[in-house]
Amino acid sequence: MPWISEDRRHTRVAEGQPLLTESLKAVLRDKYFPRYPSKRAVLLPALHLLQHEYNWLPTQAVQEIAEFLEIAPAEALDTASFYEEYWLKPKGKYLLQVCRSLTCELCQSEQLRDHLSQKLNVDPGETTADKRFTLVELECLGACGTAPVVMVNEVLHENVTTDRLDQIIAALPEDPHDMKDPGMTWDNDGH
Amino acid sequence: MAFTEPVLTKRIPLDASQRKLIGYDDYVATGGYKSLKQALEMPPADIIKTVTDSGLRGRGGAGFSAGQKWSFIPKEKKGPHYLCVNADESEPGTFKDRYLIDHDPHLLLEGIAIACLATQCDIAYIFIRGEYHYSAKVLEHALKEAYAHGIFGGDGVLGSGKKVECYVHRGAGAYICGEETGLLEALEGKRGWPRNKPPFPAIAGAFARPTVINNVETLMCVPHILERGPAWFKTMGTPSSPGPKLFGMSGHVNNPGVYEDELGITLDYAINKLAGGMKGGAYKASVCGGISMGILGTNQLDIKLDFDDVRFRGGCLGLGTAGMIVMNEHTDMVKALRNCVRFYAHESCGQCTPCREGSNWMRKILDRILDGDGKAADLQMLMELEKTMGIMPGTTICGLADGTAWATRTFINKFYDEFALRCPEAPTKTIPLKVSSGRLNVLTPMGSNTR
Repeated sequence: MPWISEDRRHTRVAEGQPLLTESLKAVLRDKYFPRYPSKRAVLLPALHLLQHEYNWLPTQAVQEIAEFLEIAPAEALDTASFYEEYWLKPKGKYLLQVCRSLTCELCQSEQLRDHLSQKLNVDPGETTADKRFTLVELECLGACGTAPVVMVNEVLHENVTTDRLDQIIAALPEDPHDMKDPGMTWDNDGH
Repeated sequence: MAFTEPVLTKRIPLDASQRKLIGYDDYVATGGYKSLKQALEMPPADIIKTVTDSGLRGRGGAGFSAGQKWSFIPKEKKGPHYLCVNADESEPGTFKDRYLIDHDPHLLLEGIAIACLATQCDIAYIFIRGEYHYSAKVLEHALKEAYAHGIFGGDGVLGSGKKVECYVHRGAGAYICGEETGLLEALEGKRGWPRNKPPFPAIAGAFARPTVINNVETLMCVPHILERGPAWFKTMGTPSSPGPKLFGMSGHVNNPGVYEDELGITLDYAINKLAGGMKGGAYKASVCGGISMGILGTNQLDIKLDFDDVRFRGGCLGLGTAGMIVMNEHTDMVKALRNCVRFYAHESCGQCTPCREGSNWMRKILDRILDGDGKAADLQMLMELEKTMGIMPGTTICGLADGTAWATRTFINKFYDEFALRCPEAPTKTIPLKVSSGRLNVLTPMGSNTR
């Protein structure tokens, strides 16, 4: 829940190499700045971009984005912490997202959650010891017609059964960036 | 009333294996972008009049007249105007916009271009929810094609000099951004906290400029209305709710999915004719348009699915997005309500106390009832809380809490026996309820229609 404050006493703001690299800055400057009348409006796309790059959003990244967009770091953190999709703590390579809303629950999504929980030996919200999987339950994924659904990183799997779930997990490549959305028949233009 | 052929889904085959993404060439070959050329030759006021005359009501939930909404935008332009397309489809039971975008994105882009011409908007932002990764990629791809063919950018729409830009803006997983002012805040790079109104978005919306906010399906109706006229549009649906509508059927039905028909079909027709009948048992209840609208009970199969009948005879908040979650006789209504309330407790943005605390309180009570520790006071407390949160009692900024309230109210009213059974000592019929304001309200459960 976004409005529960987190303990940040031990937050480390890392030094060393900047996370918002020159090439990422160029993407923001060239692609996103012309789209909006204010720099702050680029915040959501910028957070998406960095999370895509690093798999999660270290405080350092949020701070560098704030600096680049000329807003206070607190403002950037305020926004970033509100949205569930932004991970302000590390997560596994693969995010297994089980929908738990009404239709999926009617279609036995709880079985899927329990199956994954047992298989990976984690509770929802936890990451496996090898940092490969993070299991979460989330609210409606907007695919109720094909419930129950599970989303693995950016790919949605519909009409999932426990057997299919095992197959899906077995077929995951070593590097998440090699994952292909089977629906896509064209080259990714980037988003 | 006559619905003879699919309108919004005319390019999408019913057979799922035949469906594919309709690209620019296929779209134009089947009459696409014809309405846009027509719109270019019309003064903006005429486009707005045509849409108003058609009686098109917003498909995002509220059912407000689309033409009227456009007419609120100042005619005299003193700076940029914006169009925000609400594709933040997060209501449980709703998946129609994804279906439309995934298959026929250019119909949306044509609707956007026409809406921009009508309201003199310079930039359109398609606000799509973060979880719709594939749909966002589809839109990016379609936009690239549309830019290449001069629909957007360059020398204006099809070289007319009226320049419109269109961008995809991805949300990041917050139901509240489907609320129009929450959406604007998220667009501006802030947390998605709904704004107090007035000022209304038509006067000061995105970046404090006049802004139109329309649902995906609403905009997709527009090219068809321009092409075939308001009179044709009114041949479908009911006099107060004209036009075709997508119905999202899910839950315990044999063929769940998105079906297009006209407004005003009965729930019975939607379940048995469109969705292939009940699965696993007889009909018990159905969410009537996303869980915020509440549920229709066992004896309400004859309710007409339009913007009014669901409200006045059905006892729900409205038709909403026409996402039906159908439940069979084996469904545990207490558990189903717990699921709904947990959703609101999780998605409350935290701005208003009645919603933030109330929904969590309700979730805890329902958890307790489910665990077998329900008491009479629990049920009474649920009903008191439900009465005190939302825009209607005037205690919150946006309508999220009204969703919580209506879901709870209709579940308890229509299936009172089931709740009373789990809360020993609860009165079986009428509960005199003292609301904190001191007024005495008498709640009459709508009857024991559960068995």
